[in-house]
Amino acid sequence: MLRLGIAACAAGALLLAEGFTFAIGSPVASQDFHAKMAAFVFRTQGCAEPAKAQIGATAEGLVKGVRRSVVLKVMAMSKPGVYAVYQSWSPEGDWVVNLKGTCADSSAGALIPMGPKGFIRESSKFFPRPATDAEIDASLKSHTQGENK
Amino acid sequence: MFTRHISRQLAAYIDGELAPRKAPRAERHLGRCGQCRAECEQVRFGMAMVDHLPPVEAPEAIWASIEAALEVSRPVRQWRWAFAAALVLALAGVAYWRTAHPSGPRWEVVRLDGSRVLIGPGQWIETDSGSRASVKVGEIGSVEVAPNTRVRVVTARPGEHRLALARGEIRAKISAPPRLFFVDTASGTAVDMGCEYTLKMDGDGFGLLRVTKGWVSFEWRGLESLVPAGASCRTRPQVGPGVPYFDDAPDNLKQALESGNEELSAILAASRVRDTLTLWHLLSRVEAGDRERVYDRIATLTPVPAGVSREQALKLDPETLNRWKEELAWTW
Amino acid sequence: MINLSDREISAEIIESCRAGDRDAFRALYDIYKDRVYSISLYFFHGDQAAASDVTQQVFLKLMTSIGQFRGESEFSTWLYRLVVNACTDAARRRKSDAVISDRLEAFAGPGSQEEDYARAQMAGSVRAAVSVLPPKLRIAVLLRYFDDLSYQQMAQALHCSMGTVASRLSRGHKILAERLKGLG
Repeated sequence: MLRLGIAACAAGALLLAEGFTFAIGSPVASQDFHAKMAAFVFRTQGCAEPAKAQIGATAEGLVKGVRRSVVLKVMAMSKPGVYAVYQSWSPEGDWVVNLKGTCADSSAGALIPMGPKGFIRESSKFFPRPATDAEIDASLKSHTQGENK
Repeated sequence: MFTRHISRQLAAYIDGELAPRKAPRAERHLGRCGQCRAECEQVRFGMAMVDHLPPVEAPEAIWASIEAALEVSRPVRQWRWAFAAALVLALAGVAYWRTAHPSGPRWEVVRLDGSRVLIGPGQWIETDSGSRASVKVGEIGSVEVAPNTRVRVVTARPGEHRLALARGEIRAKISAPPRLFFVDTASGTAVDMGCEYTLKMDGDGFGLLRVTKGWVSFEWRGLESLVPAGASCRTRPQVGPGVPYFDDAPDNLKQALESGNEELSAILAASRVRDTLTLWHLLSRVEAGDRERVYDRIATLTPVPAGVSREQALKLDPETLNRWKEELAWTW
Repeated sequence: MINLSDREISAEIIESCRAGDRDAFRALYDIYKDRVYSISLYFFHGDQAAASDVTQQVFLKLMTSIGQFRGESEFSTWLYRLVVNACTDAARRRKSDAVISDRLEAFAGPGSQEEDYARAQMAGSVRAAVSVLPPKLRIAVLLRYFDDLSYQQMAQALHCSMGTVASRLSRGHKILAERLKGLG
């Protein structure tokens, strides 16, 4: 029993040592029909109490050369730590979704370029903190230049 | 003389909702009847108890889901809405439907010229080469019927909306909880899990399901294929739904699947991380001797999650496979 | 009696909704959402997912068929008919109507965190008692409580006579009293 307890503690420490991050997926990953029309879903990882994580998202875009920013509604799914993001940004222009979150003393961020067929997984970037303005601009620039398409 | 008790009227009496001529009679009865007086106090007490129920604020997420659903159905709002499903004829050309002893609720069919016809469960809708149709499925979505298509309304009630596609192509956009909308074909039933998809069938029972939003469960006689957005699944008569694959999968993987032979080596060699959708379905469909190869390929592409043991997976333990699917879905 | 909002439904809001004005629909939604959600939540024994589903369905249905609504005096009756239909349809689809008692404490109404322990316990007992009412009595009690509809309005929402409304409310409150005696 003691060995099991130590193993469990070690596993827990390992999990937390991996740090608080996001993982993104298609709506099917949520297994929640509320996400059926979401642009994508994401989950928190490395958070001891996912239901208490503070999450926010914005869509950062360039529409006809004009920089835009739209605050997004992030909808919690039935499984703790799983969220859906719905498209409420313009279909025109190029957009990157900026995710940020905190869990206890840890932070996480992600930049997810959005293409005509949905999120572009291969070009998504993940950070152990919210993305900086420079990182957002760089992501938008490479997205606009077609590097992500 | 018998006294008629007023048990059933007590709430109305307390709430002042009895008709003017009945209220004084109730008052007089309560003055004489100890049983009804006692019950009256009980009803009052029950009402006082309900006062302790706190109202609950609706979560903000509900509005987001309503907005999302309204975005999906926006093109349909341009049509004339009716409570029951409506069939609308679009463009030039002739579309007709055969009637065969309709029973049950009748659906209103509205032509573009404004004329209306009633169509009910059991009736067919058939378009020719020059026509299309649009069916509003109750209040949960719509189905576009392509040219040269024959589709029948099977049931139309709040708990179940079901069509049968004999041949041709339909495109469904559904915004509702899962398992409310079904499309039967000769070789599988597409069970809506909340989605948009296209379903094509030829007259011999060969078909192709392609999902563009959400996901669909394609089922036939206990065989089930989960088809998420961006993926397709073929279906064959007497075989049922095949193994789903992503539309952007490598050509040789798709060819190996579509050929019907499912050449395993070609599939395994060509598969990427997201093709674990295909590989996971293959696990339960290949011969036992090949199952290890499929398992090993998935394990090479993406870490096997905790709780999924090789031994249990190879035995096709349902709980193990489900747990694995839940994790793999994050790569699809 | 509950009074969750002092706002009135105006003919202008309804006309704007008919014209497809999303802001007007949002205003209508804001007026009724808590009542609809509360009724659904208690009807489904505290199941927040079920209550959210029903609330979503009701307002989607409202938005897409508001053209059928003929005059503002009928509006809440018409709305609550949608609520009753959505609740009973959803209840039919559910595998069982068993009380899920472990969910009953999972949500907190506004102000419940400030309630003292005794009041919170009382609310929990009442919720549990409402949950075991037969569905027809349960929906009648909740409709009457959360929106103070007249018996005539309730009769229209519930597709029954005023006499049946009175009977259901009488029986429902009597059952609650029997279950909750000793708490008053």
